[in-house]
Amino acid sequence: MNWFRQLFTRRKLYNDLSEEIQQHLHEKVEELVAAGMPRKDAEAAARREFGNMTLTEERSREVWQWPTIESFLADIRFGGRMLRKTPAITCVALLSIALGIGANTAIFSLLDSVMLRMLPVQKPDELAQVAMRRPRAPNRPQEVFTNPLWEQVRDHQTVFSGVFAWSQLDFNLANGGEAENVHGLYVSGEYFNTLGVAPAVGRLLIAEDDRRGCPGAAVLSYGFWQQHYGGAESAIGSPIRLDGHSFPVIGVTPPAFFGTDVGQHFEVVIPMCAEAIIAGKQSLLDERSGWWMTVMGRLKPGVSPEQATAGLNVLAPEILTAAVPLGVKPSSQQDFRSRTFTTLPAGTGLSHLRRRYTRPLEALMVVVGLVLLIACANIASLMLARSAARQKEIAVRFSLGASRTRLIRQVLTESILLSTAGALLGLLFARWGEALLVRMVSTNRVKVFLDLSMNRGVLLFTAGIAILTGLLFGVLPAFRGTRVSLVSAMKGGDRQGDEGRSRFLSGRLIVSVQVALSLLLLVGTGLFVRTFRNLLTLDLGFDAKHVLLVSTSIENANIPETARLSTYGQMLERLGAIPRVVSVSQCLFTPLFGYMWSNSIQVDGGQNPSSGDPEVYFNWITPGYFSTMRTPLLAGRTLDANDTLSSPPVAVVNETMAQHFFPNENPIGKYFRIGDPPKADAQTLQIVGIVKDSKYESSLREPAPPFAYFPAAQVKDLPNSSNFELRTAVDPNSVIPSVRDAMAGVNKAASLQFVTLERQVDDTLVQERLLATLSAFFGGLALLLTAIGLYGVMAYVVSQRTHEIGIRMALGANPRSVLRLVMGDVATLLAAGVAAGALASYWATRLTQQFLFGVQARDALTVVFAVAALFAVALFASYLPARRAMRVDPMIALRYE
Amino acid sequence: MKTSEQRDLFPGALEMMVLRTLKRQPLHGYALVQHIKRISNDLLQIEEGSLYPALQRLLKEGLVKAEWGISATNRRVRVYKLTPAGVKHLEREVSSFERMLDGITRVLAPERP
Repeated sequence: MNWFRQLFTRRKLYNDLSEEIQQHLHEKVEELVAAGMPRKDAEAAARREFGNMTLTEERSREVWQWPTIESFLADIRFGGRMLRKTPAITCVALLSIALGIGANTAIFSLLDSVMLRMLPVQKPDELAQVAMRRPRAPNRPQEVFTNPLWEQVRDHQTVFSGVFAWSQLDFNLANGGEAENVHGLYVSGEYFNTLGVAPAVGRLLIAEDDRRGCPGAAVLSYGFWQQHYGGAESAIGSPIRLDGHSFPVIGVTPPAFFGTDVGQHFEVVIPMCAEAIIAGKQSLLDERSGWWMTVMGRLKPGVSPEQATAGLNVLAPEILTAAVPLGVKPSSQQDFRSRTFTTLPAGTGLSHLRRRYTRPLEALMVVVGLVLLIACANIASLMLARSAARQKEIAVRFSLGASRTRLIRQVLTESILLSTAGALLGLLFARWGEALLVRMVSTNRVKVFLDLSMNRGVLLFTAGIAILTGLLFGVLPAFRGTRVSLVSAMKGGDRQGDEGRSRFLSGRLIVSVQVALSLLLLVGTGLFVRTFRNLLTLDLGFDAKHVLLVSTSIENANIPETARLSTYGQMLERLGAIPRVVSVSQCLFTPLFGYMWSNSIQVDGGQNPSSGDPEVYFNWITPGYFSTMRTPLLAGRTLDANDTLSSPPVAVVNETMAQHFFPNENPIGKYFRIGDPPKADAQTLQIVGIVKDSKYESSLREPAPPFAYFPAAQVKDLPNSSNFELRTAVDPNSVIPSVRDAMAGVNKAASLQFVTLERQVDDTLVQERLLATLSAFFGGLALLLTAIGLYGVMAYVVSQRTHEIGIRMALGANPRSVLRLVMGDVATLLAAGVAAGALASYWATRLTQQFLFGVQARDALTVVFAVAALFAVALFASYLPARRAMRVDPMIALRYE
Repeated sequence: MKTSEQRDLFPGALEMMVLRTLKRQPLHGYALVQHIKRISNDLLQIEEGSLYPALQRLLKEGLVKAEWGISATNRRVRVYKLTPAGVKHLEREVSSFERMLDGITRVLAPERP
């Protein structure tokens, strides 16, 4: 406990020491005086002989300390005091680091959760996904399986200790009216067992639950259980209604388990065999052409992925033959049988986000990295300017005996202190930013769910960059700032000394680098923003404003197929009667809905179909469709009420279809049949009109495919789910209550989902919006940081040259030439930075090409704009210090000496 | 102050001499410097810059004690006294030093014919 007492008695120890040394000196002086020396000389001699008193005292005190820790603590205390002394600089520095580190942490955390983090299951690195290589596209393995194919793999494989399949689907909890969807999962019996997930409550599904003809059972996610059942144990055993079918709840999964699909989560799990109950007659369990599930296995101990692949491929011919799709061309069947299996590492789970957002996230990581670099440069130049102001302090410390290493350590401690504080603040920004990012990548239909809880990887990353940035912006000022010529510093004059000039040089160099990096960012921002704008202003072929889409299912309404047309007719009538609804129509798929229906066609009297012909996409519509969507008719007529089951089958085609299948002739009046070869009962459709191309596929970048529309009234077996479109005179969301009432008036069991067409279009631009918004934000931030950096350096330069400017003005220089002098400085800095930045962007923007639309990566206009913006901001930032230089009063400047 | 002819003492030498001097009689810092200088015929000159840290080390290790007192010249001084632990430490140090010195002397002795 000795050291403990020392902590409290130390002040006394130090005081004793101090007095003792004073007495020592006095005694020496007295002795010399006694020996006959004049007192003044004696004092000097004693001091000289004693040496450095402060240092002696400090060394003696150190005996009582834990030197490294205590001097470190002292450094931190002193650093904190120094930072508080210049609150403006500190705030700017802190904020720029916090933003820089926050942005980096947020993006990294997203990257981590989407790509890097292992699934929270037993030994995730043993998991492997089973996929198929197609001979025609060996590099793009097919990941979805049919149920018969999965059952073959399950029953025959020998390389996995366990293998399972699953499929995601939303279930509707509501009985009619507006749909209340939950994220559902069909899983095979071994799903939970193989993953090694234990129940939080009750039990999870086992192999016995997944037998053909099963009654079904439901497992809830922990979150859903908390939310809907308040975490009550009584939930176990109670029934849950999914799509109108009742299942008993048997258990709850643990809180940290969100499934094997990263980016999504499930709320209810039911066994695969229950698909027969939910889908009824349309069940896919025996459908050899229905691709809807993903397969994963746990490798047996000691089996490598390569061995597993080889083992699966021994069985491949047998498995594939047993599951070969029926009712397709023999050549397709042959292709199918020649597929091979492959295994893909799956320890980090699977993610559609990964495919879609890896590149954008990597691009953003580069962007935020650049921002952080700019922030570092900024702080480095601020610290450099400050260390110039601290020259005297540093000189004093040197002459008191401090070593250079000690001073460098002090300055570096300050930097790290700053960056650590910035990182802590940055973590807060990151939490907020992550939530925002997840919201940005979520669409109306796909709500992205990511487990963004703080984890070791992210914290390590943040701590790492905090220290790295602290060193990055601290090293230069630390070394430069402590290279002080004692004499000139103490004299306080001669500001144009050598070290002054070279510090200058590093300050300028930093600003030039900053300008270059900012330009790089701004060019990228310009490209992303223009891409986004190009896509926003793209001619979609329809008018997305003021249209409400109502997706409907009458599956549980018990309406026979023959009565569907009249039910839909009544719905259209009721919807059309809603006030402020301009027009209404119905179709199978709305534009950019994500689902498409396509097939080959055979043209009668047109060009002979060749194997190179694209497939044609189809949609059935009611007569009001084109006017509701505002898709212009180019030739012929639209579909109308006279097109019925009893009239000849007709179709309206788009421009692309007209041009592709009927080049150089008028397609109106021509005929085609669906299928290649068409089924025996396929209708022969006559083309009666041509409409403008519309975007239909989920990406706006793709040109419109050939497209044919035919009347709903001529469709023999209308499906039980379809879409209504309502063009409104007001905000489309405001008519939703009336739509609910109108639909309930026809059939209470019809389920409804609402979205505006505008939102549906917007949702296809998530990636572009993400890149454009974030890069614009960070580009602006970079510009701001550069302006601050430039301002700081210029203010410093002007203050250093006040004396010189005063002399010039005293010798007759006018303010204008002083302005030229100072701004000339800025111009050189800018020119150097811009040149470097332009070169770098010429090389770097190639990497952005894949994200761009309607603009080239090396777009001169974008570069010109970026340079102009940079110049404008830079000139503004440096004008303020320059004006101060112009107003230097020669008298004051000279008297200053 | 050091002249170029003076050598650095080896580690521990200063402490040993301080302890030895204090064993004879308790002294304060200034007197210690003077005493060692006199005894060594001006061959050894203790630097204040080293003495005070050394005294603090000895204090910390409990080998000496310090007390404020009044000197012969009527000055408030801090007098250092050897503790029993200090006595033991000194004995150990001296005997190990003597062994070392013996070794060094043997090595440095002119070779016998």
